[in-house]
Amino acid sequence: MSTPDVGRSMIDFASDFMPALAAATGVVRANRRLDGVRVGVALTLEPKTACLVEAIASLGADVAVLGSSNSTKPEVAAALAETGVKVFAEKGSSPERSTELREAFIDHQPELLIDDGAFIVRRIHEQRRDALPSLRGVAEETTSGVRPLRNMAAAGKLEVPCLAVNDARTKLLFDNVYGTGQSVVMAILDSTNLQMQGKVVVVVGYGKVGRGITSMARSLGARVIVTEIDPVEALAAHHDGFAVAPLMDALVDADIIITASGIGHSLIADHVAAMKDGAIVAVGGAGPPEFDPTMLGSLTEPLVWGETVRDNIQELKVPGGNTVFVIAEGHCANTSAGEGNPIEVMDLSLALQMRAIDHLAASDLPAGVHLLPKEIDDEVAASQLAAAGLAFDTASDAQIDAAQAW
Amino acid sequence: MTDPSAPPSPARDLAVERSRIADASLAPSGHEAIEWARRNSPVLDGFVRRKVDDGSLRGKKVAVVVHLEAKTAFLATVLADAGATVVAAGSNPWSTRDNVAAALVDRGIEVHSTRGSTNEMWEADLLRVADSNPDYIIDDGGELTIRMARDKPALYAQLKGVSEETTTGVVRLTELERLGRLPMPVVAANDAALKHMFDNRFGTGQSTVQAILALTNLRMPGKRLVVVGYGWVGRGIASYAHAMGARVTAVEVDPIRALEAHSDGHEVADLATALSTADIAITATGGIRAITTRHFNALKPHVVLANAGHHDHEVDVPALIAESDGIDEVRPGVTRYKLGTKPVYVLSEGALVNIAGGLGHPVEIMDLSFSVQALGCHHLASNDLAPGIHQFPAELDRAIATAKLASRGITIDHLLEDQTDTLSEILEADTFHSWGSEGADQ
Repeated sequence: MSTPDVGRSMIDFASDFMPALAAATGVVRANRRLDGVRVGVALTLEPKTACLVEAIASLGADVAVLGSSNSTKPEVAAALAETGVKVFAEKGSSPERSTELREAFIDHQPELLIDDGAFIVRRIHEQRRDALPSLRGVAEETTSGVRPLRNMAAAGKLEVPCLAVNDARTKLLFDNVYGTGQSVVMAILDSTNLQMQGKVVVVVGYGKVGRGITSMARSLGARVIVTEIDPVEALAAHHDGFAVAPLMDALVDADIIITASGIGHSLIADHVAAMKDGAIVAVGGAGPPEFDPTMLGSLTEPLVWGETVRDNIQELKVPGGNTVFVIAEGHCANTSAGEGNPIEVMDLSLALQMRAIDHLAASDLPAGVHLLPKEIDDEVAASQLAAAGLAFDTASDAQIDAAQAW
Repeated sequence: MTDPSAPPSPARDLAVERSRIADASLAPSGHEAIEWARRNSPVLDGFVRRKVDDGSLRGKKVAVVVHLEAKTAFLATVLADAGATVVAAGSNPWSTRDNVAAALVDRGIEVHSTRGSTNEMWEADLLRVADSNPDYIIDDGGELTIRMARDKPALYAQLKGVSEETTTGVVRLTELERLGRLPMPVVAANDAALKHMFDNRFGTGQSTVQAILALTNLRMPGKRLVVVGYGWVGRGIASYAHAMGARVTAVEVDPIRALEAHSDGHEVADLATALSTADIAITATGGIRAITTRHFNALKPHVVLANAGHHDHEVDVPALIAESDGIDEVRPGVTRYKLGTKPVYVLSEGALVNIAGGLGHPVEIMDLSFSVQALGCHHLASNDLAPGIHQFPAELDRAIATAKLASRGITIDHLLEDQTDTLSEILEADTFHSWGSEGADQ
């Protein structure tokens, strides 16, 4: 099969497992708000997001997509390009070329933008203000993007309405927990061919992603140590039966270290020097600089990248000291050393994205960060339950009264 | 790149001359893969390496016929480093890694194998290995031993011993013994605790789940998953799938195993009932035609079928082909069969999904399995065993476990004299007393 055909086949396979997206697309199609609208999609470019892109295009929108150099699936990009979608994504592109692609994507002047990590919306606010007047709204996919948007809003610097799609319950409780949990752990096992049984795994951060990763790792037989900066989350990890320790202490015994903090500089060179020789480092939260080996801390000499010993596994050496193995150069392991989150989980997240841009197109929200309406959240969850043949209960009048009593 | 531990060039030249591999230039990446296996095989690279290097394998010819990938290759190098002349071939034409084969030849080891060779070429490779006149065989499924018994009787009579990797192989060689055609000692490596309890359960369990998720990009939480067969392999798969959030239904023909699955918290049902709920169904019976024509009606649309058992025919793919209205490979390793309008997916064409559709067992698991194999071969070479099937010595099983625990820095306790319950003491005592009842308020 040719490259685009392989991509087409993978997109179609994914589409068969995405009933919530199909339902959301049906709702949005009836609303007829996206016809002729310029929509920019800046998500990891792979079969599931391609399903969203094609669904948006099928509603008459003029769609452009941006994909990163490390996580773009070339066969999927090729298949999308064949359908007339404007694709700005080249696997393995140089930093210069990646910048060119990003700027060309912004040149498309999206009216509605689906952003991931707030990279494009920040770029537009800071360097590409020419694209700001036409931008009507942004739907943000991830925790590490919602945070800077809230910071911008607090500083009075956010000039467009942004929907924190990430914060929808149907996103946060599923994509971040089950999706990233499974896909990060599987990417580590697939890259290394190692076993999880008996491994000492340190997970940095016990938010939604950290919870998913710890649970999956423990399911496969690992002993997990959680490190946290938030005492409440640390206490929660303790109650879930995990060891809790300061990162510097936990590292010493770790076979595998996984960051899930979503915050830059959570794991730095200092930490690498404290690891066991041969330890494996993977990033599960946000990409660089969550793991930042260039930040030396108390070290005096910089770390040195060594050989690529297997696909997606590179040595990182402490001069005169230990060598550790880093997965995907510190990019998110699940998207860079794997195929990203499972299809059925992304079905929920991308269905929410579909409903989010429709909501942005319909409403006249002021600049700032907004939550997706609860009804949309509930409808998307219910649509996947229905597809699985599962029913749920409705509150009785007495229950509603009781819940509203005071 | 030539490995620093490679022997002087004459051996290498000889290996190059005698071998049949795909592409010698692939050696560098093969060396990297073997080095990764070495790094994660502390038992084979430590305790076992020292133990086999006592001269008993020196000058002996050892045929290694196991799935020819990095972990197997590392076993071959350990035996070669102990002075054995190793000749290697794959136990299945689809599992050979050509880069690893090239790296072995680069290290002076004779190899006869290419990935994806025809069955005829694979058979011919095995016979070439037989022609090298091995003293010992490390076998998988008895593939080489049985062919030598049939096709190379003179060389077969000269074999000094066989160490066998799998359940299937042990059954086959036991049958050979019953027929009076086993003139040499065989060590049932498969039956070692450190082989079947770990390799078959943890190794196949993890790697099967891993391969299914990687091939499909599907989610385990919330899945309805059916495991056909609740032996060691089925137990491993069920426990990991359940722990990751799947609802597991086990299917068995043995009432004791069915009750065990029930007690482990899984649903238990007959196959037709179970399949009517399944999002994913995995065969792990070790037999054939576990899922066949009479079950097709019960399958849900979009069900994923995969096989984790020894034979490629547990999911009856020929029957699916016969019944299908359309067949397409929709993702690499994922074939869609249309039963009428109902799409059904089969992974890796029904072959062992963890090997054909993934990287095989985790390295650390094979560290244990191949430690058993290396010590099994060494046991044959350093003892004068009678012809017939022999159990793997229990003290070697314990020694491997001890070495593995030590590599992890784990210490354990030892029973002391006063902790043993000695029957003779009870018999000779004046009065009988039972531990625990003394002083208890009953």
